[in-house]
Amino acid sequence: MTDSSQAITVTPTPAPLERRARAIDALTSQSSLLLGVLVILIIVFTILEPKFFSVATASNILTDWGSIVLIAVGQAFVIISGGIDLSVGAVIGLSGVVAAWTMANVLGLDQSVKGQDAWGGLLVGAAVSIGVGLLVGLINAFLINVLKIVPFIATLSTMGAALGLSVVISQGAPIGSANDFALISSFSPQWNPLSPALIVVILVVTVLGLYLHKARAGLYTYAIGSNAFAARAAGINVARHLTWVYALSGALAGLAGIYVYIRLGAGSPSSGTGRELDAIAAVVIGGVSLMGGIGRLSGVVIGALILFTVQSGLIMIGVEPDWKKVVVAVLIAAAVAAQVLRKSDGRG
Amino acid sequence: MTKTVIYEAHDVSKSYGSVKALTGASLRVHAGEVVGLVGDNGAGKSTLVKVLSGAHQPTTGRLVLDGVEHVWGSPRDALEAGIETLYQDSSLAPHLTVSQNLFLGREVMSPGILGKLGFLARRRMEKEAHEDLERVGIAVPASNRPVSALSGGQRQAVAIGRAVSWARKVIILDEPTNHLGARQAGEVLNVIRAAKAKGLGVIFISHTLPHVLEVTDRIVVLRLGRIVRDAPTSEFTPDSLIAAITGSSDAESTTDA
Repeated sequence: MTDSSQAITVTPTPAPLERRARAIDALTSQSSLLLGVLVILIIVFTILEPKFFSVATASNILTDWGSIVLIAVGQAFVIISGGIDLSVGAVIGLSGVVAAWTMANVLGLDQSVKGQDAWGGLLVGAAVSIGVGLLVGLINAFLINVLKIVPFIATLSTMGAALGLSVVISQGAPIGSANDFALISSFSPQWNPLSPALIVVILVVTVLGLYLHKARAGLYTYAIGSNAFAARAAGINVARHLTWVYALSGALAGLAGIYVYIRLGAGSPSSGTGRELDAIAAVVIGGVSLMGGIGRLSGVVIGALILFTVQSGLIMIGVEPDWKKVVVAVLIAAAVAAQVLRKSDGRG
Repeated sequence: MTKTVIYEAHDVSKSYGSVKALTGASLRVHAGEVVGLVGDNGAGKSTLVKVLSGAHQPTTGRLVLDGVEHVWGSPRDALEAGIETLYQDSSLAPHLTVSQNLFLGREVMSPGILGKLGFLARRRMEKEAHEDLERVGIAVPASNRPVSALSGGQRQAVAIGRAVSWARKVIILDEPTNHLGARQAGEVLNVIRAAKAKGLGVIFISHTLPHVLEVTDRIVVLRLGRIVRDAPTSEFTPDSLIAAITGSSDAESTTDA
């Protein structure tokens, strides 16, 4: 609430003024600020280590970004709706393991099946992986809507169960099966860091961005996170919509599961461990409020890029990789602190 | 003015476990009439509002809207039948814009395939939101601003404008002038008059007795879960209204028949 809002405005702002106000808004928007931060980071790391500025580095950063941006986007929907989903990291492991197990034991494929011969198997694996994620998401929704468990505890439980199950199914060791590494390698390492898998990720993220900001599903996500009581009073079926949100988050974690499988060439039970923190970091760096109702997907996408640019940059300038988790934690704290400062500044 | 009864509660009782919140309450509102519902804290006002708006089911009793008996399974049922309820303070989502709030739950979809895919007609809703609010006499700021950027009075104006512009039969306003300054409260009362002129049945719940005396046609007084007085507003003075609410002796003789 600002003090300028005392009088009731009658005259609408004249069009040119409004256009200028919009231009200023765009320049000071969260996404522009984040892009600025990203550019500064790239410049700083390039000064410290000139090799940082290369297609190879970009390719590495984007490949890491690909799996995390999927669960970060799911997490953004969940957090904007006023909840949290801690199970997404464990779901990456579980869905990858179940997909690999299915490809190896049901389809009878082993690591000798490579390249285009593996595509049929991988398609089945992708369906299984997304299905597993969807199922965990629906279980989360059941715990939250029907058993009325708070999201933090509900998804903490499914996180533990998913971690445990993936170890049980894989007996603790990675399961290898058919694969095509070309799907995850860039088309042309000299000038194009994108891979076919990344293009799928970018398409999915773009469609979901349109849904969050332009479609009814997105509007309801904000409405519930902003004021669940008002949403219910307006006739929105809150439980049904939250089911959709957690199912989406689960399915995206399943998609991230097959992405990570293709990258590793195996389904490993620990492949997603701790990744939920990366997702939450990307979301809060991107300007999404942990209180719900606020945030844009463009911010989350850039937030995830910042996360991996920092991690990759630190490693290239010689910082021990073990410091990675500490860096993620510091970034989360800094981003949340920045949000609080922005809010007390009266800018919401 | 038409004299048709638009909404009626017959002998409604509501118990929460062993607690009787409401006993044999009957209330009727005509089309184009403003009925004030007053009573002390704990008198049963909120319970009656929840029953009328479909949020709670009465233990016994009947609800008749426009001549048809209804059992509300949820607020949505009542909403769809034409009853709008404005709850205290919390009817808006602060992070959504004015137009998003106005259309929440009743969005206008994009034409064609985009609409079928779930995409919204944002500009059209922003334009219509502005027109709808103006029609019910509310001067609104740009309808693409978030509600959190508005003052308390503006928010309340938007919330009421939303209810009035959607209501087809009855509008229930629970403490709409709470926490408002004199000028803003005056605007709210004007919106109530606009709703009345539109032919809606208005149920106005308030602790602010001067507002009740100013805007209502009839006043219903609740005390300890029972209706103790139901009379035209012209029969009340500020003192007799307070006496009816608190149950002091001079009002007792005329009501407890």
